[in-house]
Amino acid sequence: MTLGLVAAGCAIGTAVPTHVSAAVSDADFETLKEQVQQMSGELQSLKQTNQLDQQTIQQLQQQLGETQTLATNAVQKAEAAAQPQPLPRVPIDEATVNHNFQILGDAEFQFSKANGQNAAFSLADFAPIFLYRGGDNVLFEAGFDFILQNNGGTPGTSTDSNPANPPGDTTPTANGTGYTTTINLSFAQLDYVMSDYVTLCVGDLLLPLGTYSERSAGWLNKFPDNPLAVDALIPGTGIGAELRGAIPVGDSGKFINYAVYGVNGPGSADGTGNAAQLDIAGGNVGFTSNGGMANLHGKPDGGGRLGIFLPFKPHCDLELGISAQSGEWDNAGNHLWTAGVFDAALHLGSSLEIKGEYIQTQYGSDDLGAVRQQGWWIQAGYKLAGLNLELPVINNVELVGRFDSLQNGYDSVNGNNLFDFNTRRYSAGYIYYITTALLFEGDYEFLNSNDPSQVNQFILQLSYGF
Amino acid sequence: MNKPKQLKTLIRTPLALVIAAMAMGALASALYSAEPAGTAPDIGSASSQTNSIESVTNSPDAKPVVAKTEISGAELYSMHCNRCHPERYPTERTAAQWKTIMLHMQVRANIPAGQARQILKYLQDNSGR
Repeated sequence: MTLGLVAAGCAIGTAVPTHVSAAVSDADFETLKEQVQQMSGELQSLKQTNQLDQQTIQQLQQQLGETQTLATNAVQKAEAAAQPQPLPRVPIDEATVNHNFQILGDAEFQFSKANGQNAAFSLADFAPIFLYRGGDNVLFEAGFDFILQNNGGTPGTSTDSNPANPPGDTTPTANGTGYTTTINLSFAQLDYVMSDYVTLCVGDLLLPLGTYSERSAGWLNKFPDNPLAVDALIPGTGIGAELRGAIPVGDSGKFINYAVYGVNGPGSADGTGNAAQLDIAGGNVGFTSNGGMANLHGKPDGGGRLGIFLPFKPHCDLELGISAQSGEWDNAGNHLWTAGVFDAALHLGSSLEIKGEYIQTQYGSDDLGAVRQQGWWIQAGYKLAGLNLELPVINNVELVGRFDSLQNGYDSVNGNNLFDFNTRRYSAGYIYYITTALLFEGDYEFLNSNDPSQVNQFILQLSYGF
Repeated sequence: MNKPKQLKTLIRTPLALVIAAMAMGALASALYSAEPAGTAPDIGSASSQTNSIESVTNSPDAKPVVAKTEISGAELYSMHCNRCHPERYPTERTAAQWKTIMLHMQVRANIPAGQARQILKYLQDNSGR
């Protein structure tokens, strides 16, 4: 349009002849002049508009370029985002993991010197406990005992921390050579926590006859060997089922705990009811003539424990318990084997611990009538840290002492000592806590016994709980 | 050994053990009560509605003030662990491992479930990871 007006003005200027202008009147001239001036103004306006349009176009082109750049970047980013990227590994909260497997346990190494024998490294023991937790209420636990023992034997060192081993561990393997490796399944049980007050346990159970059997792992015990009566008189484990739990009394930390169970109890080594054939730990389970596994006399043992825990203040508490087990032991089912255990443990401050058990058993027999056996043990430990001497070595030492007694048998029919073995043992020793889990122990055991296999001895042990 | 003598022994031994247990309880109680008032925490009260340690402070001009303190998970941990073995450091295990171990200990040592949960919380709060 602008160009058209300019062209029109030019055309008018050139198309009108000179001679014609001469003939133009002043009015016409003025009119034409105004028209030319008007067109000139319009031309200037159009030029200005054109400049503005050019600026606008440039701005739009610039904005278009920026938009194109942004679009290109966005496309590149989108393409990059579309590429598969490895996700960073974020550590999960382990507490939320529903299942868990782990290994606990202990290991012991012993050096001993018994009267009449040379000093020797006598034992290496590895006792792992496998725990598998399924959810919040199910736990499977199994303990094993791998023992490498010097066949030279060390009388009286029932060093095995596994209470399931049959009595007789204290019998020396006299004049042996080399070493013997044994592997025992100490226990294997499935625990199902049914409620806050009841837990069902099934399997090869650690029996709550007293508390020692359940809490006797090598590094838990303050002595390198077990009390005589625990090894000789009661089984450590039994295959069966158990209900157990604890019930708070008031709100001050006191509680009552209980356990009731049925297990395959002691059996007869040869099936007869003769007194000497009682097999405490053997269990009255075996293969019948048709190849099936059966309880040989058809009736399991029943047992239970009732205990009470009384805390007086932190680190001061008393735990008392009474437990019993009874059942037929011979294949004919004519005789009962019965055991009763009274246990007590006292903590006075963080340094002093006293605990003990009294064990009594009785069983009928074909040949000797009722046979009564009994024994008891009491031990005390005092951590020298309680003296506040501020001496590092002294503070890591605990002094321990134990007295235990075993009367192996009494014939109530004839009034005779059946097996005529009566032993009293006095043990004194120490524990040096290298760490809370690594213990260097030692004790000397004085024996007063008519059992020739029981002699004085000195034992050093390094034990580690993991 | 004749029968009457054996019977006497069988009667005397459990009786002596019961007396010994009672003596231990009495000794513990005596030691507990011998602590200076106001400094000795008391776990013996069954009247409290929560797990609590009560201490009584006697003042010449004021009535005894009973201050209650809950038994913490740490105290329960120390109390129960020492029944069998030295305490282990909470940092030795992870939170998930402690959960498994506490289930094991709850069953093995017959620890009340509520106390076991308190101990577990303490252990997990202070666990290695």
